[in-house]
Amino acid sequence: MQLSKADLLRAYRMMKTIREFEERLHVEFATGEIPGFVHLYAGEEASATGFCMHLDGRDKIASTHRGHGHSIAKGCDVDAMMAEIYGKKAGLCGGKGGSMHIADLDKGMLGANGIVGGGPPLICGAGLAAKVLKTGGVAIAFVGDGGFNQGTTAESLNLASVWRLPCLFVVENNGYAEATSSKYSVSCDDFTDRAAAYSMPGIAVDGHDFFAVYEAAGEAIKRARSGGGPSLIEVKLNRYYGHFEGDAQTYRGVDEVKNIRATKDCLMLFRKRVEGAKLVDAAELNKIDADVLAQIENAVKKAKAAPKPTAADLMTDVYVSY
Amino acid sequence: MANSQPRGAKVGIVANPAAGRDIRRLVAQASVFPIAEKRNMMTRAFSALGMTGVDEVMLMPDGSGLNDRIRHALKLPLPEGQVWPKVTFIDFEPEDSPADTLRAVRFMVEQGVGAIMVLGGDGTNRLVARVAGDVPLLSLSTGTNNVFPAVREATIAGLAAGLVATGRVDLKEACYRNKALRLVVNGAVSDLALVDLCISDELFVGSKALWRAEGLDQLFVSFAEADAIGLSSIAGLIRPVSRRAPFGLKLDLCPPARAANVVAAPIAPGIIVEVGIEAVSALSTGDSVPLRLRRGVVALDGEREVEFAPADQVMVRLAEDGPLSIDIERTMTLAAQHGLFVRETHALRGVGARTA
Ligand SMILES: Cc1ncc(C[n+]2csc(CCOP(=O)(O)OP(=O)(O)O)c2C)c(N)n1
Ligand SMILES: [Mg+2]
Repeated sequence: MQLSKADLLRAYRMMKTIREFEERLHVEFATGEIPGFVHLYAGEEASATGFCMHLDGRDKIASTHRGHGHSIAKGCDVDAMMAEIYGKKAGLCGGKGGSMHIADLDKGMLGANGIVGGGPPLICGAGLAAKVLKTGGVAIAFVGDGGFNQGTTAESLNLASVWRLPCLFVVENNGYAEATSSKYSVSCDDFTDRAAAYSMPGIAVDGHDFFAVYEAAGEAIKRARSGGGPSLIEVKLNRYYGHFEGDAQTYRGVDEVKNIRATKDCLMLFRKRVEGAKLVDAAELNKIDADVLAQIENAVKKAKAAPKPTAADLMTDVYVSY
Repeated sequence: MANSQPRGAKVGIVANPAAGRDIRRLVAQASVFPIAEKRNMMTRAFSALGMTGVDEVMLMPDGSGLNDRIRHALKLPLPEGQVWPKVTFIDFEPEDSPADTLRAVRFMVEQGVGAIMVLGGDGTNRLVARVAGDVPLLSLSTGTNNVFPAVREATIAGLAAGLVATGRVDLKEACYRNKALRLVVNGAVSDLALVDLCISDELFVGSKALWRAEGLDQLFVSFAEADAIGLSSIAGLIRPVSRRAPFGLKLDLCPPARAANVVAAPIAPGIIVEVGIEAVSALSTGDSVPLRLRRGVVALDGEREVEFAPADQVMVRLAEDGPLSIDIERTMTLAAQHGLFVRETHALRGVGARTA
């Protein structure tokens, strides 16, 4: 696996943008200014980045309630995402959807999703379209460990296998569905064990290691693009914050997150590797840090100042005409 | 069982829950080994260990659910006539990382286990070998791409491990010493490989397994079998070297287009590719060899583990002090010769196998 310096810088910027976006929301949500719920993706950045780095305009992704990272990685506009989360008219969905409905079809982002297990059926449709129209596109569903126990996921795995769809089912196993440990709620010990039941390959990767995710994602995507059919990839990772902002997290170990941040943080590990091997200078990465910080600061400022949707907007975007 | 022995024999079992789920399933049609089957293997080994008189089995903690399945199995009534050893779960909070294996094996050695059964692949054995000292290993394959551990029935493996751990079969007669390839980075031994150590010009460890021939630069093998799967087959198909020979091999590799000799080698399950050979030379035990590349990755037993850059000084040394392995066939043959599985009854005098 070879990555150019430009690829390395792009990967770092993507992960850093997601991290900063989430860290800032963590702070801003506590002020009470943001309506609705937000579920933060901090800690899981290497997954969205490792997969989406391989994608282009032909490809579609479906996300979850924890969708900011996938949206940023698939190229959604950060300002418009922030405005959406603040419920402002300049938001990606006119400010009427909020965090769990961020979508941008032009970017191939089929949507965050309030329905746990809602993404897999969508990518079967997207995968079928790519196959029939011979676009060479692939469709990826990011699903949580909780979502992977849903019937919709099981049906989609079966359908994708029967129709040999160019689909990837990515289980982002962060160990919990709300407060329920996956060790309790998942019948198999590794989601990869389920792949065999649907006659597709299943592999597990360390989701703290961008390079591991990137390489596995590349192989699965290559296979799907060339007609090899679907695959299942379990990404083992951790979320840094509660299930949603405001979750007291009484179900987690005292220093659980502190230890993970100190030893397994995907950004920290990435920096250590590329700086240590002298592939990228620390100064270049520091510059990205500063750029991203300014970008998020700007996005928040603009979102706060932006106007809300009006009563007249209430009746728009309700039905789609074909 | 005949020939009763002093009590107190312990056996450690290391089952790697992560073995058998790497990227080779995606790129090489490798087999899938579900955890439920690892549990079954372990319980079959319990029956065998109990039969040989082992009193206690020590298991490493795991976060994957394997031990929960074992706990469940322990609650069920045992099959008629069976005695299982006491099962102890070593008590520490697992990190779900290779460090768990190292820590558990160190503890097993401290507790005086007479043998360690290793359920996993070359990678798992490599970890165990780093800290097992002179405790003999009984290695059973569950991963893909394995050369070091054998694909054997867990019942028989359990019998052999139990016979050695209880002293019923003499350790010196039943075991052999492996070689090991030690990786020396900037003057310190950093890791080891049991079978092959390969240098590639890839920059990153990535998803670990190495399944492409492109970019392979050097291959060191402690032994090379012509019927092996994996990188060591490159050497095994040119110049086979046995596990017990006092030397290994070093191969300088190059793209097939530039090579005088090209070998077609099964470097991963289902992947048989051509590899160019520039030079092959014997590697004596004790020899330390520097690498040709200044930047790249080191794969230990088929898994990329170490990234190195021009500032690093990397050497490879073939050592004769690898782990001890229990030879299943030899152990069982010795047990048969000593009649350890045979009981004479008066009713059937003269009909049994042993008449001496
Ligand atoms: C169909 C459905 N059932 C229940 C819920 C409530 N709910 C929201 S998130 C969640 C847990 C999801 O866990 P997981 O899939 O592991 O994703 P994670 O939050 O860990 O990213 C649940 C049960 C829902 N939104 N939709
Ligand atoms: Mg989860």
